[in-house]
Amino acid sequence: MTPALLRRSYVEATPRERIEALVDAGSFREILDPFARCSSPYLAEQNIVAQRDDGVVIGRARLDGRDVAAIAVDGRFLGGSIGEAGGAKIARALERARDGAFLLLDTGGIRLQEANLGLLAIAEICDAVVALRERAPVVAVIAGSVGCYGGMSIVAALCSQIVMTRVGRFGLNGSEVIEQEAGIGELDARDRPAIWRATGGIRRVEQGHADILSGDDLDELAGALRAAFAAEPNRERLSLERLRRCFAQEAPA
Amino acid sequence: MRGSIWARALLEGPCDAGGFPPSVVVCDGTIGGRPYRTVAVVPNRGARFPRARNGEFGLDEGLAVARAVRGAPPGAALISVVDVPGQAFGRREEAAGISLALAASVAAYIDERRRGRSLFTLVVGKAISGAFLAHGMQSGWIGALNDREVEVHVMPAASVARVTRSSAAEVARVATVVPATARDIATFASFGAVDDIFEVVDANAPAPDEIEAIRAAIDRAREAGLGIRAPLERLERPEAARRALARDVRARIDKAW
Repeated sequence: MTPALLRRSYVEATPRERIEALVDAGSFREILDPFARCSSPYLAEQNIVAQRDDGVVIGRARLDGRDVAAIAVDGRFLGGSIGEAGGAKIARALERARDGAFLLLDTGGIRLQEANLGLLAIAEICDAVVALRERAPVVAVIAGSVGCYGGMSIVAALCSQIVMTRVGRFGLNGSEVIEQEAGIGELDARDRPAIWRATGGIRRVEQGHADILSGDDLDELAGALRAAFAAEPNRERLSLERLRRCFAQEAPA
Repeated sequence: MRGSIWARALLEGPCDAGGFPPSVVVCDGTIGGRPYRTVAVVPNRGARFPRARNGEFGLDEGLAVARAVRGAPPGAALISVVDVPGQAFGRREEAAGISLALAASVAAYIDERRRGRSLFTLVVGKAISGAFLAHGMQSGWIGALNDREVEVHVMPAASVARVTRSSAAEVARVATVVPATARDIATFASFGAVDDIFEVVDANAPAPDEIEAIRAAIDRAREAGLGIRAPLERLERPEAARRALARDVRARIDKAW
């Protein structure tokens, strides 16, 4: 047990601090760091200040000695949305990965400001995840305050293992968008406890949609990530029979 | 009901495969003597989930499409006929985990393609967001009708304005300067994402010569092995003029890895 004062919170850490804390000490080497300038050229036109890494951090690291691709989406930049540059970073890192990959998914999904380029990127990322998981572990970690939504939630569902914390939420459409599009009678986005009960880490692990529940402490998450790499890929997650039973429970009477 | 019209019209001797919900049309038939299966998601007013009654891609649709794809007859190529207004937005869907319904469909398409089954897509109407990701985007070959109602995007137009708290006029202006936010098929094709665009007089009533042209294009593409191409291969096509940034990022990663 780490003494309370020495505990470090995942939620409060930056994407780079998160990766550093989860992998073998000192092993992370970032590729296309902010000095490499890999920002979106489409945002200025929409009155948004771009970020030099386009909100995605990638690189190589060691995890119990394995040579893995580390990928983290920065939830603080445009809701962790995926545009052309960030999407290309994720897809290529997955393709280059040798002994597996992990994705720290703090993301609202496709970046609306780069709509169809994000859409294409996600289709490519899905294929890259499936190709990689046939030969090595691909682990999704959903533990940030944005959660994992939209097209990136499909990506997470394709991974061989999913680690969540109770703070992490895993869904397709965000509650604000559902309330706006379907009305407050469908969903009250202000009812935060209900949203976490339905889509948070505790529920998702209980449902069998996610695999490992961890605390927010970075050391504990580092252990959970290693456990996920050591585990067999979850082949049941997308089993049609299992999903049919899960979905039947939510059907209107 | 464009989806069901085209799913049947594309095939010679179409025969509905039994055992699917009314929202998913599955047809088996041939083109030029070779076996094909078409799959379309269509409106079903009687769907048990109320947020998936207008053709949206919902929980049951994800499972049914995955089953139709994985269970296609041996040797048959798949054609995803796409007219989907989006994924189902609802509280029940989120609680159930609708992401997994879409992922089940995506996984089915990817697995079949990687095993060598040819995948084709014909966009005949709306191709929006998660629904298009789950049904159509994993194909090696994507064709589309040249029609006003054909559009590709990540959100319905009205929702974009609401979510970004801007006006419809501003959304339209941005689309002229940032092509990625445009909705028309010609712009989508400039990302190298579309292999063929077909002229039609009435997209709701396909004429025999229009159908013949599409069948011929698909069968040629099958012959050339285009149906088993991975999505990333699109990036390298000369037509992908507007994706230079993605290519550049990938090249820079390779240099540094």
